[in-house]
Parts: sequence; C-alpha cells; structure tokens
Amino acid sequence: MSATVSISLQECWSHLASIAGQEHTHLASEAVAVAPADTQQVSEVLRFADANGVAVTPTGSGTKLGWGNQVEAGIRLDLKRINVLREHPWQDMTCTVEAGCNWATMQAELASHGQMVALDPLWPEKATVGGVVATNDGGPFRLRYGGLRDLIIGMTIVLSDGTIAKSGGKVVKNVAGYDLHKLMTGAFGTLGVITQVNFRLHPAEANTRTWTLVARDAADLAEPLRALLDSQITPSSVQLRAQKLECALDVRIAALPECMDQHETSLRKVFGQIELQDADEKVWRARQELFDAEGGVVLKVSLLPAEACLISAELQQLAGRDDLEINIVAQATGLMTVSLRSAPEAAITLIEHLRWRLRSSGGSVVALQVPQLLRGGLDVWGCDSNALPLMREIKRRFDPNHILNPGRFVGNI
Amino acid sequence: MCSKMWRHRWHESSKLSCRVLPLVTIDELRAAVGADGLITGASQLQTYECDGLTNFRAMPGAVVLPKNAGEVQAVVRICAQNRVPFVSRGAGTGLSGGALPAAGGVVISLARMNRILEVDIANKYVVVEPGVINSHVTQRVAPHGYFYAPDPSSQSVCTIGGNVAENSGGAHCLKYGFTVTHTLALEVVLPSGELVQLGSPTLDAPGYDLAGVFVGSEGTLGVATKVTLRIVKRPEDVQTLLAAFDSPQAAGQTVSDIIAAQMLPSALEIMDALAIEAAEAAVHAHYPMCGGLLLVELDGSASEVEKLMRDVRAICTKNRASEIRVAQTDEERALVWKGRKAAFAAMGRISPNYIVQDGVIPRTALPRVLSEIDRMASAVSLRVANVFHAGDGNLHPLVLYDRAIEGQEEIALDLSYRILHLCVDNGGSVTGEHGVGKEKQEALGYMFSEPDLETMQLVRCAFDPENISNPDKVFPRPRLCAEKPGPYTPHPLEAAGIAEIF
Repeated sequence: MSATVSISLQECWSHLASIAGQEHTHLASEAVAVAPADTQQVSEVLRFADANGVAVTPTGSGTKLGWGNQVEAGIRLDLKRINVLREHPWQDMTCTVEAGCNWATMQAELASHGQMVALDPLWPEKATVGGVVATNDGGPFRLRYGGLRDLIIGMTIVLSDGTIAKSGGKVVKNVAGYDLHKLMTGAFGTLGVITQVNFRLHPAEANTRTWTLVARDAADLAEPLRALLDSQITPSSVQLRAQKLECALDVRIAALPECMDQHETSLRKVFGQIELQDADEKVWRARQELFDAEGGVVLKVSLLPAEACLISAELQQLAGRDDLEINIVAQATGLMTVSLRSAPEAAITLIEHLRWRLRSSGGSVVALQVPQLLRGGLDVWGCDSNALPLMREIKRRFDPNHILNPGRFVGNI
Repeated sequence: MCSKMWRHRWHESSKLSCRVLPLVTIDELRAAVGADGLITGASQLQTYECDGLTNFRAMPGAVVLPKNAGEVQAVVRICAQNRVPFVSRGAGTGLSGGALPAAGGVVISLARMNRILEVDIANKYVVVEPGVINSHVTQRVAPHGYFYAPDPSSQSVCTIGGNVAENSGGAHCLKYGFTVTHTLALEVVLPSGELVQLGSPTLDAPGYDLAGVFVGSEGTLGVATKVTLRIVKRPEDVQTLLAAFDSPQAAGQTVSDIIAAQMLPSALEIMDALAIEAAEAAVHAHYPMCGGLLLVELDGSASEVEKLMRDVRAICTKNRASEIRVAQTDEERALVWKGRKAAFAAMGRISPNYIVQDGVIPRTALPRVLSEIDRMASAVSLRVANVFHAGDGNLHPLVLYDRAIEGQEEIALDLSYRILHLCVDNGGSVTGEHGVGKEKQEALGYMFSEPDLETMQLVRCAFDPENISNPDKVFPRPRLCAEKPGPYTPHPLEAAGIAEIF
C-alpha cells in the first residue's frame, strides 16, 4: 500500500470519526468501518461519502454480505448502534424498529404481547431488521402471511445525498404518496440506507403442529401438494424437501388447540392413501441448513407453485446422472432454495439450464451464495427484465454518483 | 382565437388560458385508435369531465378508447411527442379526482380492454385487461371455489385498472390485504410509450419491486394494460354478526377487544346512527336502530369460526350490546353487506349534499377521534355521519350539508379537511383507500415533509420526466423534474488512481 493511499483512508477515517466518534470508527486495511449513532449521523456520513465519491456498503450483522455482486466499498456503514425497538403499540398491532435491531431480539420483545412480525428469515439470531429487508429474505411463513412487501407499512431512509425521507406511516391501511418502502425492500442497499422500519404485526402462532409425507420421487408429491393448496385448509407453512433419492412434504398448521384434530382429519382426507407422519418443528430449519453447508452454491429459484415438484424431480434426476449433489427446499409459494455441489462448470451449466427452463413461465434463478471460484464466470442475478433501463434510471435519480453498493444489484446497478 | 392555436404544441398553448388539442394531434389519435375509438364531441366529452368526485371538473380535449396495448402505446407516444397530458380511466368511480382530466388533455378510457385473458387455478392467478370489472374476476373463478379478495364498495362497476391505480381496499382487507397484496405482475405502457413488464406471476423477480410501487401511484407512472392478480380459495365457512351498541365509541371498544383477543376477522365495520338511518332508507337492510352498529365477519374452518363467533358474542355482551344477530343465510348476509356498501350513496336520502372523506387512524385512537369529530361538527353546526372499516382504523366521515345554503359548502369542505389533519395528528393517514388525487394534495403536504415528497418525486421523474401522465395530482404543488443527473463523474482522487482502494 502506498503512502498516498493510507493518507486518503486516514482522511476518510478522521472525518467519519468526527461524525460518529473515534470509538465507533475503525480503520481497516481497505476501508473505514463506521457505526453512526442515529439517522442524523447516517445522513452526515452519506453526505461526506457522496461529496467525495466514496462507495458505501451498509451492513447489519453481515450474514448476507456475500449475496449479489461483490462490492469494494471504502466505507462500511454499520447500523449496529441503531438498534432499538422504538414503539410497540400492541393494541394497534404495529411496531417501529430501527434497522440495526437483531431480528430475534425484536421478535422476543413483540412476543411479550403474543405478537410477531410474520416472517421467518435466515439466521434470526444474527440477522438484523435492515439486512432482512434490504435482501427481501423470508421463509415458509410467506404462504400464509405474505412477504415483506405485505408486512412493511412505513420506513425511514437516508439517500446518498444525506436526505432523510419517510414513506408510509404507522397505520396498516394507507395509500398516501408513493410506497418508497416497497422500492427499498429487496434493493440491496442500492437506493438508500434504511434506518427504521414500521411493521404490521400478527398474533404469534401459539399452537402449531407439523406433519410430513414421504416419497422417493418429488413428482409423486405433485398431486398431494396440488390437492392441499386447492383445499380450504390454510396451513401456516408448506415445504418440499428433496434430495437425490428421497423427498418429503412438510405441512404446518397453526390453530386453536380444540380445532387441531379437525384440521388433521381434513389433512388426511386431502392426502387420501398417503401416510401422514407427525414431524418435529426442526424440519422448518431445512432451508437454513442448505446455506450452512460450506463451499456449495445456493440458489434462490422462483417458479410457479405447480411446477415445484416437477422441477425438483428433474433436478433429482440430474443429481443421479452427473456428479452433482443437489438439495432442495421448495416452499409452496414457488420460492425454492437449491444447494449445489459440483465442479464449477457443471454448476454454471445447471444454472443456465434452469433459467432457460423457467423462462417461459416467468421464473428466475438468483445465485445467492457463490464460491469465489465461480465469481466472474456467473451472472448471479440472471435478470432479463425489459424494465432494467427503468431500474437504472431510478438508481440514477436516487444515487447519481453511484456510491451506494455500486454494482451489487441486477444489471450491475 | 383558439383556432390560431392549433399548430402549437399543447404545453405552449397551455400557457394561455385557452387549452385545445391541435387538430393534427386529433388526427394522429384517430389514426391510432380508429374513428370509432375517438370522442371529441363536446356533449360526449362531458361524461369524462369528472369522476366520482364531482366538484372538480375539467373538459378533456379528446377521449380515446384503445382496444389493446399497442393502441395504448400509440396514443401515449402521440401524447409524449406533443407533450399532451393524459389520464387513464376505468369506470370513473374514483372518489379523489384521480381520473379528472387535464383541461384539453387526453383521456385514455380502458373500457374496451375488458377481457379476462388467462385463468390459472393450479397457480392461483388470473391475467386480466385493465377494463375488467372487479366483481367479474370473482364471478369467473367462483366455479372453481376461488375469489378475488379486494372488494371496494363499488366492486360491481369499478375496474381492475382503477383498483391498481388507487391500490383499492374494501371491507375485507383487514384479513386479505389490498390490491397491491394481490397484484403479482403488470404490463405497463410508460409515459414514453415503451411497454414494460413489472413483476412476474412468480414471486420476487430479480430487480426493484416496480409492480409494488406502481400499484397505488394513481395513474402518475403510466398506463397498466395487463394485470396478473392472485386469487384466493373460498373459506369453508363465513359468518356475519351484527351487534347494536349505544355509541360508535362502544362499538369501537368492542373492536379493540376482539383484536386484543388475537382474532383476525375478515371484516370489522362500524356505522353510526345517521349512517344506519340512511342505509335503512335506501336498501332496507333491517339493521337494528342504535348509536353504533358493529358488523363482524369471520371466515375459516367451520369449527374455528364457530368457536370464535362464540368469543365475539361474549365480547359484545360484555360491552353491553343491546342486540346481537347472526345472519342465518347467504341472502341475509348479502343484505347486511348491501346496506353497508350502499352507505355512501344512501346519504342522498338524508342530506341534499355530502362529502365523503377517507382518513386512517391507529385503531386505539378511535374513541378519541370520534369524539373530536363530533365536537368539530357541532362547532360549525353540521352533521357528520360515520361509516368505517374499524378493524384497520379507516374512517369514512360523511360531512352532510346543503349547497343551497350560501357558504355551507365551504364550511363543509373546510371541516372535511380538518378531519384529515386530525387523523394525521393522531398518527394516521389522509387516505386509506380513495387516494390523494386532486382532492387531498394539500393534505398530503400536511402528512409528509418536503424531503419525503421530493424523494417520492425522484420515482415520478424516473418514470415520467416530462410530467404528462396524470400531471398535477397527488403532490401538493406542481413539481418539475430536475435535469437528468449527468453520468457518473469520477472523483479527482479516483481519476488519479489514488482512491482506487475505495
């Protein structure tokens, strides 16, 4: 490293330290990590970065920093100090929480009134609210409760020029102004830094049961899954787990204790001859386990719900033929997590095949977790939307100097 | 004088008070949609001079009735080239002036684009054109046991395109969500005339959630030409209960208690005495006459609905309901809802004129806000009827007045805006489902700060830099888009290779 470089970093450090305090500003070899105390300080940090053309990566606990294209930012904007559950007017079933708040901590506080944000993201013990929202993460709860776009009712964001803006509000029903919070959700921090989120809440699932159907081939589960989704049963979660030679369909129902038996009877009626086994709640960790295995590629595949079993079966067959290890957890919403272990070329071929296969029905394949070896050879986003020019224009309006996570998102936005 | 103006482009002529569409532009529009798809006669144009909010009127220069997305594109391109403002229009039932045309501008009526293009039961979605009537979606999928959840009171006439523009709700959104919850994808003609797909029938298409932003943008970001909607399986059982209370406050307390008991009814509606009187006069729904009528609808599995209905009854009794009734048949339920959905129009029975407002407050503020509305109304000697989606705190105060009495309309309007401010002061919003449109622009400025509005404007400018798609709506004052920001200029340090480490 040349002297000029360290001076430049040094200057960056000393300015940021004057905003957030020295004890919250750290000089690393290639970037300055700064942890501002509040939204106002986030605004000052961004204004400085924007004026000096320094790229910024906002982070929570960093669990999903590997998702998307890699960014070499000069400033790592750490939201960990902005972490308070500000309000929980439980009778209104809403809450206002800061972006750096740990997900599980927030849920534990909401649970004291029997409520929850009805979303089950990865690594809840580590993940922060801001990170979950920026990456639009969520698990099997989505079937019953919808995704983040249905649960977020308001937001505070800071733009690259330091503007602090709010959208939505603290009431569930609200059509005033544009829903900027929908634009920010899943934008990977490329349009603004989220500092506070307002959620609508649901009653926590006090009483649940999980059942499992087992089959050898995912295709055999297509009809039971179709019948279940076409029935009047409203499960809180449904997932398909598929490996090379076995697969399972898990169903979780949340209901009043006195009604649970009746739900079981209805389930058995829907599934007919196929045997229904009681299962442990642990099966719902299956999605996360795919990420926890080291070294593999992890894909987020989105397809039509009716295709889930068929595509899973095709992947199972591929796994049988080639030297591929494939594990699948598909939610009944059509969102599927696939982990792959194979030679790099085989992984890229498979991803391209899947994208081609799903194109006609509007599906998509995003490579979330990618080994270093594969980076460069793989388009992780696979976005072929004809709205990409519009997305670029939005980015340009929000972040004209391209300092917020530059290049991380679709089309190198 | 006007005849001399026709050569000029619209925005030039608009600087004068005389706004007319140049004849060449009208010829171009005719070529785009055919003679049978163009309306320019003054008497026919009059139909389009307002929507459901009739106190704002403006005469459009032309109305076009395209038959497909290609024709919409052609029309929008003509508008873009000539910088003529346009507004898309469904059934014109909006209550905030969203479909009010710009004087001399173009109205794009989607009435002829009314086909249901695809029904996919296995994947629970339908693809419709924007002119399809809301209730026709449910009619189409009902034989399969499904329904389309958003149910604005005007659902038998209003269109999906209008619902998308306004992010319409309805009585059942407490449980089922709004139009945006049920919109998977959109095909949109941008204000430049380009055609884009936003979202996908599959979830989480890579990229920004532009479908989420477009829904509820009140026609300011383009014209939706195709909409992919989620459909929902009909629940096994539905039960509807009516409970009579002394006051809307007591009914409101019951709502809070129901929610506190961890229930999520599909609807929780309250009507006050004036609203009941009007609804009775209009549709004879056989409502009990009382100070506050609560309607509770529960749906789900039969055993669960039965158990929860018992709990709801107990809560109503605890809060001193004078009468509790459960609709015994589908016909009875339909009649209960007919009275509720007719409540706005029924005001005509008890007052010569009325203003429908649409504010939202946190549910717990209900008793306080209702008392304050009472006080404010008495202070100006006007009556305010209250009909509301109590479950989500969405108030519809109906300010009753008589236009024939000089000055009363102004007093009524002023009161209705002050009620919106009251909602904001109590942590709420100026609109829950009717939209901002032309009516509530100033109120939006009361709710949001200037930086909030400027940030929203960035979205507007990315979609519609020329400001021709339903201009002068939603935002409190006309805003121009700043010159497009230039391409990224590297910082001198970066250019010198010094700051590459960043």
